[in-house]
Amino acid sequence: MIFKSIRWRLQIWYGLILLTVLAGFGATAFHLQSERLWQRIDGELQRRANVLAGSLRGGNVRDRERERAAPERPPFEENDEPGIESPRGFGRPGNPRERLHRPPPELRLRPNQAALFDVEETNGFYFVVWMRDGNVLAQSSNAPAAISFPRRRDLHGPQPPHFREQSRETLLRTPPGEIVLVGRPVASEAAELHRGAMKLAGVGAVILILGLAGGWWLASRAIRPIHEISATTLKISAGDLSRRIDVQDTESELGQLASVLNATFARLENAFTQQQQFTSDAAHELRTPVSVMLTQTQTALNRDRSVTEYRETLEACQRSAQRMRRLIESLLELARLDAGQETMKRSRFDLAQIAADCIGQIKPLAESRRIRIEPDFAPAECNGDSERIAQVITNVLSNAVFYNRDNGEVRVRVRRDQNFAVIEVADNGTGIAPEHQANVFKRFYRADPARTASQGRSGLGLAISKAIIEAHGGAIELASEAGKGTVFTVRLPV
Amino acid sequence: MRLLIVEDEPDLLSSLAQALREEGYAVDTAADGEEGFYKAESWNYDAIILDVMLPRLDGWGVLRKLRQTKNTPVLMLTARDQTRDRVRGLDTGADDYLIKPFDLSELLARVRALIRRSAGQTRNVIELGGIILDTAARLVSRHGVPVILTAREYALVEYLALHRGEVVSRTALYEHLFDEDDSTLSNLLDVHVSNIRKKLGPDFITTRRGHGYSIE
Repeated sequence: MIFKSIRWRLQIWYGLILLTVLAGFGATAFHLQSERLWQRIDGELQRRANVLAGSLRGGNVRDRERERAAPERPPFEENDEPGIESPRGFGRPGNPRERLHRPPPELRLRPNQAALFDVEETNGFYFVVWMRDGNVLAQSSNAPAAISFPRRRDLHGPQPPHFREQSRETLLRTPPGEIVLVGRPVASEAAELHRGAMKLAGVGAVILILGLAGGWWLASRAIRPIHEISATTLKISAGDLSRRIDVQDTESELGQLASVLNATFARLENAFTQQQQFTSDAAHELRTPVSVMLTQTQTALNRDRSVTEYRETLEACQRSAQRMRRLIESLLELARLDAGQETMKRSRFDLAQIAADCIGQIKPLAESRRIRIEPDFAPAECNGDSERIAQVITNVLSNAVFYNRDNGEVRVRVRRDQNFAVIEVADNGTGIAPEHQANVFKRFYRADPARTASQGRSGLGLAISKAIIEAHGGAIELASEAGKGTVFTVRLPV
Repeated sequence: MRLLIVEDEPDLLSSLAQALREEGYAVDTAADGEEGFYKAESWNYDAIILDVMLPRLDGWGVLRKLRQTKNTPVLMLTARDQTRDRVRGLDTGADDYLIKPFDLSELLARVRALIRRSAGQTRNVIELGGIILDTAARLVSRHGVPVILTAREYALVEYLALHRGEVVSRTALYEHLFDEDDSTLSNLLDVHVSNIRKKLGPDFITTRRGHGYSIE
């Protein structure tokens, strides 16, 4: 599924975020713009409403007094202002009786005030002034016919501007009780606002597309190293373990990942090589006994043999089979030790006692070559699997005898050294050359490849010994000088 | 034909030697590289079977030292079957290579081929007038009739046939037909030659008195 890829997920998230930001930004911009526009228009409407309200004369006592105090202004009509009509002779005094009884309000606009409602120049501002009783006192000629006296409910409290079809209007109630309505058509402003919104949306769409393209590019760029890593990894897993990921930028997260992977591959390759080496060595060790059996049996079967000859053949085959069994047992033991499956039956025992037992076992071999074994024992109690430790000591001892010269000497020393029980097995044989010393604990390693081949030695003894000692938390090491002999030292925790 | 086997695995050495002796070869054995080299130097073997892993001096060392003086055909035996080991063996001067474990029949065939090639023979059938030698089957026939020869008689005929036209000295024949364990009697060769003449005709082997024998 393509949308499961990191690139697509990044892209989708990025697109959504970008879209939200752009939409929020656009909405805010649109809101601010329209608010400014309506504030400006509402301000104009308010100002005109105030002018109209201020231009009302009469209607109550206070106004009359003010009117008397103020100099008489010329009637509105004399200024020949167009577009303003008063149904009762606008600005002209009405019935004197009526005026005495209840002076009707009148609207008087100075020329500069009248200019505020000029149809041509002022975007078609219109107004309607109602008296308290709902009759129209005055209205501009361009006032929409549909305007009716506002409902009483609308006249309480401050009056917010409102829309009437394509117009914006505001209401003002004068203290004496007249209602002033000022409005203007806003179709062009609304269209302007709409165009602005369209432009915003268009620009937003372009930014979104550019942003998505940029995001795609960035995501590709960021993901490219991952592709390289996975491509290389694929090749590596296909069998060529020597390949490595090309790490250019070791500081970045991906560089670190590549470095970590490279280190893993190196370990893997090493383990793999060791495994191959081990398999090849094991196969090699099996080849000799198998070829003995093949040659022996094929020779015997070539013609009729005497019973003695058949017996000899069978004995040779038996020796080979026993050798293979030893090898297989060693391999399995090593495998179990490797896997940590070999459980150590731990108990407390005296290392010196075990060493003495082992010397007893190896003595016949040593005596056959007139090799002396000289013990130097101090009690050294330690904790471990005594059978396993005996196996190790026997192995080291038999090496010391086997690689010794005739009439040689093997010194075995057991002592306590701080928190360790230590056994040292020193021979005065030929020693191990420095280039071989590091390798003698390796599996199948032989300093002299052929020397031990026929002796039934698998080349695994020291590797097994090392594994056993390390499973005990101890250490086995050697010191050797060519011509002088070798000292193996085994340390076991007390 | 006299062979040397250098092999440190006693059970392998004994059965190889037995099998080759039963094929009519005179077989010498050595259990380590130094002994093997000493013997290879001292005698003109028809072929040497040389193990690679040997005590004291390994197969490579034996081969390298031997090639300084002798061109004896050498068949290497090894438990390593990696290409670089084979290349190394052939480059050091081995004539053939066999990987353990091997089949006895293959080893015998390779030894035959080695000896045949070193004598300049490419086919395993040698025709000498009316007498035909099949060196692979170790059979001799005279005018189409099979003739039964003992292993030693066959070896003598084969050696002379491979060195056809040459006069082969008695010493050389002794060297190539009898191994180190044979208690050689001075007249043993004459007995074999006379038996062969009875079976294959009086003129088949010519005696050059004071020099040796030959087959024309």
